[in-house]
Amino acid sequence: MSNALFTSLVGEFDRLRARFPAGFDSSLTLPCLRRIQEERGYVAEEDIDALTAYLGVPRIQVEEVLSFYTQFRREPVGRFHLEVCRNVSCSMRGAERLIRHLHDKLGVAIGGTTADGRFTLKTCECLGSCGTAPVMVVNDEYHENMSPEKADELLGRLG
Amino acid sequence: MPRIFIDGQPFDASLEHTVMQVADANGIYIPRLCWHPKLSIAGNCRLCVVQVEGRSWVEISCNMPVSENLRVQTDTELVRAHRKAILQFLTLNHPVDCGICDKAGECTLQDYHVAYNGEASVSREPKVEITKFYSLSSRITLDNERCVLCTRCVRFTHEVSKSHALGVQDRGDYSVIRPSQGPGASPLEHDAYSDNIIDLCPVGALLSKDFLYKDRVWYLKATPSVCPGCERGCNIDVWHRKPEWALRSLDARHNTAIARVTPRDNPAVNGPWVCNKARDLAQILERPRAHAPMARGREVPFDEALVQARALIAKARRPVALVSSWGSNEELQAFKVAFGERFACFVKADHQPADGEVVADELLIRADKNPNGHTARALFGSAPVAFAPDTDLVLVWGEGADFAALPRGVPVIFLNAYLAPENGHADVFFPISVMTEQRGHFSNFEGVTSAFERCFAKPPGVLDAQGLFEALGVYTAREAVTP
Amino acid sequence: MTPNRDARILMTFPVTATSHLLAEARARGQYSALDKALKTMTPAEIGKEVTASGLQGRGGAAFSAGRKWSVIQLDDGQTHFLCANADEGEPGTFKDRWILENSPHQLIESMLIAAYALQVRHAFVYMRGEFSGPYRRLQAALDEAYDAGLVGENILGTGFSCDIIIYRGAGSYVCGEASALITSIEGKRGYPRNRPPRLTVKGLYQKPTVINNVETLSNIAWIVNNGSAAFKAIGSPKAPGTRLISISGHVAKPGVYEIEIGYPWKRLIYEDAGGMLGGAALKCVIPGGISTKVLTAAEVETLNLDPTEVEPAGSSMGSGGMIAIAEGTCMVRLLQVMLRFYHHESCGQCTPCREGMGWLHRIIDRIVMGMGRVEDLDQMIHISKLQDGNTICGMGDAAGYAVIGILAKYRHEFEHWITTGRSLCEGKLECLASS
Repeated sequence: MSNALFTSLVGEFDRLRARFPAGFDSSLTLPCLRRIQEERGYVAEEDIDALTAYLGVPRIQVEEVLSFYTQFRREPVGRFHLEVCRNVSCSMRGAERLIRHLHDKLGVAIGGTTADGRFTLKTCECLGSCGTAPVMVVNDEYHENMSPEKADELLGRLG
Repeated sequence: MPRIFIDGQPFDASLEHTVMQVADANGIYIPRLCWHPKLSIAGNCRLCVVQVEGRSWVEISCNMPVSENLRVQTDTELVRAHRKAILQFLTLNHPVDCGICDKAGECTLQDYHVAYNGEASVSREPKVEITKFYSLSSRITLDNERCVLCTRCVRFTHEVSKSHALGVQDRGDYSVIRPSQGPGASPLEHDAYSDNIIDLCPVGALLSKDFLYKDRVWYLKATPSVCPGCERGCNIDVWHRKPEWALRSLDARHNTAIARVTPRDNPAVNGPWVCNKARDLAQILERPRAHAPMARGREVPFDEALVQARALIAKARRPVALVSSWGSNEELQAFKVAFGERFACFVKADHQPADGEVVADELLIRADKNPNGHTARALFGSAPVAFAPDTDLVLVWGEGADFAALPRGVPVIFLNAYLAPENGHADVFFPISVMTEQRGHFSNFEGVTSAFERCFAKPPGVLDAQGLFEALGVYTAREAVTP
Repeated sequence: MTPNRDARILMTFPVTATSHLLAEARARGQYSALDKALKTMTPAEIGKEVTASGLQGRGGAAFSAGRKWSVIQLDDGQTHFLCANADEGEPGTFKDRWILENSPHQLIESMLIAAYALQVRHAFVYMRGEFSGPYRRLQAALDEAYDAGLVGENILGTGFSCDIIIYRGAGSYVCGEASALITSIEGKRGYPRNRPPRLTVKGLYQKPTVINNVETLSNIAWIVNNGSAAFKAIGSPKAPGTRLISISGHVAKPGVYEIEIGYPWKRLIYEDAGGMLGGAALKCVIPGGISTKVLTAAEVETLNLDPTEVEPAGSSMGSGGMIAIAEGTCMVRLLQVMLRFYHHESCGQCTPCREGMGWLHRIIDRIVMGMGRVEDLDQMIHISKLQDGNTICGMGDAAGYAVIGILAKYRHEFEHWITTGRSLCEGKLECLASS
């Protein structure tokens, strides 16, 4: 059973492996999963099988890693993956209003995806950007100093 | 050799050991959930704390190295307060399932609660609810609510059985033990040592599906025994109903059934583990039994069968015996005395590996699926079965003989515990007892001898092979060769 | 302490669109320390300088960098590893990001010197997965440095070789803890480890490993160039040097400010950070990340930013993640946000944190829902005390500090909510005066 996406990444993984010291194959788990998710949008069952075989680690290790780290996902998300920080400084600068606004505007529950598949709305914890709160991440890029108005404008542009 | 002090008493210790190991070696008990002598140190339960004299805090002892003049106390007020706190944390979300949990009566958490905490919960929050009855394999069910995440089971599959079958999914108080979910069956299904995690689990999270709801452990007795599944001879406990708790209202078989099998720690043989075949011994030992002596398929009284057998033995000039490799040392010795001189004796393999059974591995499982080939071969040699052309009697003891390969027309005396078509074909047939109905010894492939004790009375009409050999053998020396 | 208390080690230049590039970094003197270290000093000499400088960790624990380094046995024939901790997950903290984005070469140069001093062939930067921008900046800087022969084989022709690899995390606060960080680099769940063994004895793949915070490391180049005595002349005697403070919350100019240790706290808030939004009154300050105990405005305004003053006041400078809170902010809701965070981030390995974080979170949620009981407050303190010192890593202690600190100063707000079923401050987290 072929996994075309994984096969297309093997060359890159080989080069990555060469940059690490010998005996670090297990370490490649996180960077390889990140690359797979960048390409596919999530990590599929066949990716786990392929990576397990490629690295020679127990399959359970890959499964554990996928469930432990919040950035990894095993299900697809909308075209635009929105994460709004709701930690202390962001909440002090309006994150809760922002989240409510997006929730109402998009009409999805937190964690849900709009029916047209465009937007997935999630909350997240501190992003290390408290000075430009409130902060929102869209497809892994930070959007800082947000407000409901700026969010509307951003979503409009993303269309 | 550093000397450390535990509760004021001096003990000599080794630098490779931890404080907990020194305490264990000297009869000082420190409670623990996650530590196990055969697994790596996890240090996650935080129950095994001790207080180093002079310090105002407690530290775990399972990871505390030994050093010269180290002085620790295992039972200060601070230690007790801390233990109580950890138990409160553990029982915060632990469902009080004791009334319906198989582990009751042998549960570490229960025992510790009584010994170290014993108070009602101080929490006002509803308990976290997660999966109950998660099927880990066809043999094991997992209750995540009861699980205390000591990770002994996970470490076992990585470090001992090496199936890498288990891991922890998610984080925090939503962490759950889960099996690897690759294509095909769960790797735990293929792990021949999977059931050891049931013993390792300090609570009722991992349970045997076979034993589920069958019995309460306080009604059961653990009789020391030896697994006959292969020549390793792992030491086991066979659990069965205590005689004083026999149930009169149920089928009598309930009182004479094997409820379960668990390992008995023997550092010279199997350590604290057994393979799953040992767990399933009831499947082997409780097959339908033969109950009556027979002559050519006709049930006869014992005396009549004995007379006929003795007559066959008396007139035989070239008798051959096929010796059971499931016989105990005592039975084999008696067989030697009774028949060793007159009969050409060949040791047979009563059992062969079954389809799909693990043949051998690097842990415990051996290819020879018979418990006492070692003693049998020591007494009777290793020559393969060979019938001289003038063989005129075959005495078959135990299972596994190929009756089609016996010389045609030659009388057969057959001793077997189990119901089989060949029983009826033999000239004389005797039903014999099985190991759980006797006491005796097996010697494993390395010559280590282990004892098994009697669990049950043998069924009426069934004979002990040892006594039968003596009865049959009486005439072998004395009877003249001439008819 | 310098006369004007304005010494600068890191933020020594105005940030422009190009100031992070190698050419401009070099113009500022970057890589001169590397040259000096590799060509005129031995590893042992560098270690001595670092110890003499009194440099303390800037990740939160403030452990002496020199003492940590000294556990590494030079010439023991073992592989050694160095990891820069760029996980920066402590809420309120965003100062390492400044270095990664704006002065990556200072970090790279310092790491190379540290690697030389510790006989490290492969060094890692463990960067939190969310930092996409900082990752691109640092990787680009590394590419520049490799091209210029400053990293890799035979650096500057001295025979010293070192590779630096950025290892990206994937969303886990606990991976900022040194032993969890290492386990993450090994490709596994970020579970912290029990000590012994110390990581400097058995760390990454069981080899001796030094983990230092990004800011801590970034000081090394300056110390080599200017000497440990010059470093000690800055800041305060027991805590020399400067600190990058990231200040956020209800201030007009949140951001990263470099202060000499001993700098007056009042000045930082009311001058550098532009004071409170809309002129609101300051209520309290979380000094160094939410895992440090809150101090009231009255306490803060009398103190200098010096651990020898902050600690006797009952708190800590921690990770340098300062949050300024205006009057009218509900401390109950604030604690609720913090406990939700700790609960979310608990790795689940050890009993007190795994069960305790969920317990604390549920209690405060219940209080906020109007179903609190008077006993809840003492119970929260009790749980916090039970966790303190009894967990595998410092996270168990951290949540406790937040609870105990806030309850010590603002218990009346909690009691009010419990008895009336609502907040004393309308549940507000935003500053009234903000637009």
